[in-house]
Amino acid sequence: MNVKVRSPRFGIAGLAAFAVAATVALGTPAYADNYPSKPVTLVVPYKAGGSTETMARVYAKALEKELGQPVIVKTRPGGGGAVGATVVAKSAPDGYTLLFAAATALLWPPLTLNVEYTPDSFRWVGSITEYQQALISTPDKPYKTFDQLIAHAKKNPGMNFADQSALSRAFINYIGKKEGIKWTAIPTKGGGEMVPFLLGGKVDVAWSGGVHQKFGDKMHVLASFNATRLAQSPDAPSLKEIYGISMPSYAVIVVPKGTPDDIAGKIEAALQRAGKDKAFDDIVSNKLKFPNQFIGSEKLNQLVKEMIEGLNTVIAATKG
Amino acid sequence: MIIDQLLAGFAGALAPLNLVFMAIGVALGIVVGILPGLGSVTALSILIPITFYMDPLVAIAFLVGVNKGGTSGGAVPAILLNAPGTPEAAATALDGHPMAKKGKPVKAMKTALYSSVFGDTISDILLILLAAPFAAFALRFGPAEFTAIVLFSFTLIAGLSGHSLIKGIIAAFFGLFLSTIGLDPVDSSSRMTFDIVELYDGISLNALAIGVLALSSVIQQIFVMRRDGNGAQAGTWQNFDREANKLKPAEFWSRWPTLVRSAFIGSGVGMLPGLGVSLAAFLGYGSAKRASKTPEKFGTGHGEGIMATEAANSAVVGANLVPTIALGIPGNIAAALIIGAFMIHGVVPGPFMIEQHGELIYGIFASMLICNAFHLLIGRVGINIWGYITRVPKTIVLPVVIVLCIVGVYVPTQSLFDVGLMLAFAGLGFVMRNTGFSIVCFVIGFLLGPMFETSLRQTMLMYKSDFTILLSSPIALIFVLLTIFSLWRFARRG
Repeated sequence: MNVKVRSPRFGIAGLAAFAVAATVALGTPAYADNYPSKPVTLVVPYKAGGSTETMARVYAKALEKELGQPVIVKTRPGGGGAVGATVVAKSAPDGYTLLFAAATALLWPPLTLNVEYTPDSFRWVGSITEYQQALISTPDKPYKTFDQLIAHAKKNPGMNFADQSALSRAFINYIGKKEGIKWTAIPTKGGGEMVPFLLGGKVDVAWSGGVHQKFGDKMHVLASFNATRLAQSPDAPSLKEIYGISMPSYAVIVVPKGTPDDIAGKIEAALQRAGKDKAFDDIVSNKLKFPNQFIGSEKLNQLVKEMIEGLNTVIAATKG
Repeated sequence: MIIDQLLAGFAGALAPLNLVFMAIGVALGIVVGILPGLGSVTALSILIPITFYMDPLVAIAFLVGVNKGGTSGGAVPAILLNAPGTPEAAATALDGHPMAKKGKPVKAMKTALYSSVFGDTISDILLILLAAPFAAFALRFGPAEFTAIVLFSFTLIAGLSGHSLIKGIIAAFFGLFLSTIGLDPVDSSSRMTFDIVELYDGISLNALAIGVLALSSVIQQIFVMRRDGNGAQAGTWQNFDREANKLKPAEFWSRWPTLVRSAFIGSGVGMLPGLGVSLAAFLGYGSAKRASKTPEKFGTGHGEGIMATEAANSAVVGANLVPTIALGIPGNIAAALIIGAFMIHGVVPGPFMIEQHGELIYGIFASMLICNAFHLLIGRVGINIWGYITRVPKTIVLPVVIVLCIVGVYVPTQSLFDVGLMLAFAGLGFVMRNTGFSIVCFVIGFLLGPMFETSLRQTMLMYKSDFTILLSSPIALIFVLLTIFSLWRFARRG
């Protein structure tokens, strides 16, 4: 009898002991001295072909030179970045799995969807550029500035705007709420669908993540969603100036929470140096026309707090 | 004017290094295309980093070659093993496999290859001549027009449902139902995701297609072999008759109306972003069957069915660069990858591309035409090699295909969740095959569902729930009338 009662316990204890032994034996201890001693994986949580993935491919080449180990780009698309973020949040905090994503992919889903990570599931190592998010229109419209748009929209209720995500929709609806404007969100699946809608006159204004910069004077910027005005459109005001809110715009690199300080420090230093790579600088500055500027972990963590506050303001205002 | 520039383009494109890489690209594309689940898209995303150190023209020409080869390679497993790895080759299997079973596998593969190259060439010529005006036309297509096109595409179910129309409709609706899983396209609320993050973007088309189309067919064949007890030693087809496998030029060209029709359908679908290669293939097949005087021959090993499908799906390849070159937006995922490659090589795709990089663009146009010649040559040599597969015992081929199916699902997204889904869909496909529900209709429902929902809801939002837009937009009206016409014709034939 005694044996029968105790045996499952022994089983569990034995299993636990075995698990511990196995972890000790198999798990590579995360020593910073020899980091990195094997290839590093850079996860991009979007489909191949977008601007983030293109940037990541070139950046990985530069990072490879700095780390002295191959950097493998893996795409894990889905849920607006939530699938890739979940994968990285659950991976071992040993500095061998990095995530390259828009800050919004780490901040917005935990606030609005049932996902298994929060912004705190990550150690935010650095930001390497900013998406150029803007409210855009075409030159044939009667409104040329943000103020004129607001005035026009008040007189003409029922204008259409194209969004590309729940987040961009919430921000444009926030403007509508503040100004008492009634306009309709037309959901689109990214820049590839938004561009023909806007150029073909199916929508009046649109949210753009930066694709408009390829179109010269065929599109113009009415306002910036970033915290500052966009370098390419210095005359258009930012939402921060008008409403005190802004959409997180940083392209960040994060590792799972619990990554040791010295390893995170090594990665941060390598990221900063890799940003100066010529090919990467050319893609970012000249082709995408994004600013090539590095923000370290210290300042980034401060920014993360501000970004979460800002998003909560927008959610509270546009609810219902 | 265009001729001058194109000749200058040929001068660049004919550089020996460029030719070598184009040939390698086409060959790689065909090989990858043959593997279930791996098509142009996977091949491109793996190969783009390799092009970093190449000259821009060589790099893009290489990738264009991969894309062309990848789109036609899928026909081979569809014909030989009835195991199409992608939905775009599903309709090829409908006639290709029966033809192969009749002892004409090589003839079926030849028909597929020549039709592919024909459709592709027409599409390239349209791209070169009409990129700019085509793009202006494409801008007239908005949500209302897309809704009408997808509505019309639903009538395909009638022609593809096999013996029982009711079962075909049930299968299509089941596919449609499964396609609603995921985040709602308008308010981003979860639908039947059970909080599984992998389902937020819906069920993966790749996993579903490989499961129901390819793996279930392999399982079916294994069961048949077990029942008959003879397949173990024999090759797939013992009585290989050289004479029967010849494809006479006269026989091929006598079907030119089908080829031309499918080439134009494919090009039209290709220039409209978001419709996709698979829809082009089904539309090509469906319209050929509708136009045919002997529609009952389709599905029994009729060469015209292969032609209609392959000419249409390959014609997408050239035309989907129209929006890329004229507007800077991708026509489909393969084109999106090529846009990424353009950027890596210092060319920003957009409306100013031809002005700023005219020489490169015309070099690429010339390369596309040369690639078609390579495609014909390499594809033809390949057929002799694939022909040997038919002599390998099925006991060896089928297990290999099972492994390839699993790899093909895993590689693009590196997700074991998708592999699990694929296995589940293989089970579903097996049940459907044995109960007479059309798998093709199921896939069409799944494919069209999200397109229809998104465009319809966009239309309703954009025009404030005014359905008359479907009649007041001329393009939409044409497709609505076509829908009514084909329903009426179907009802009359009864």
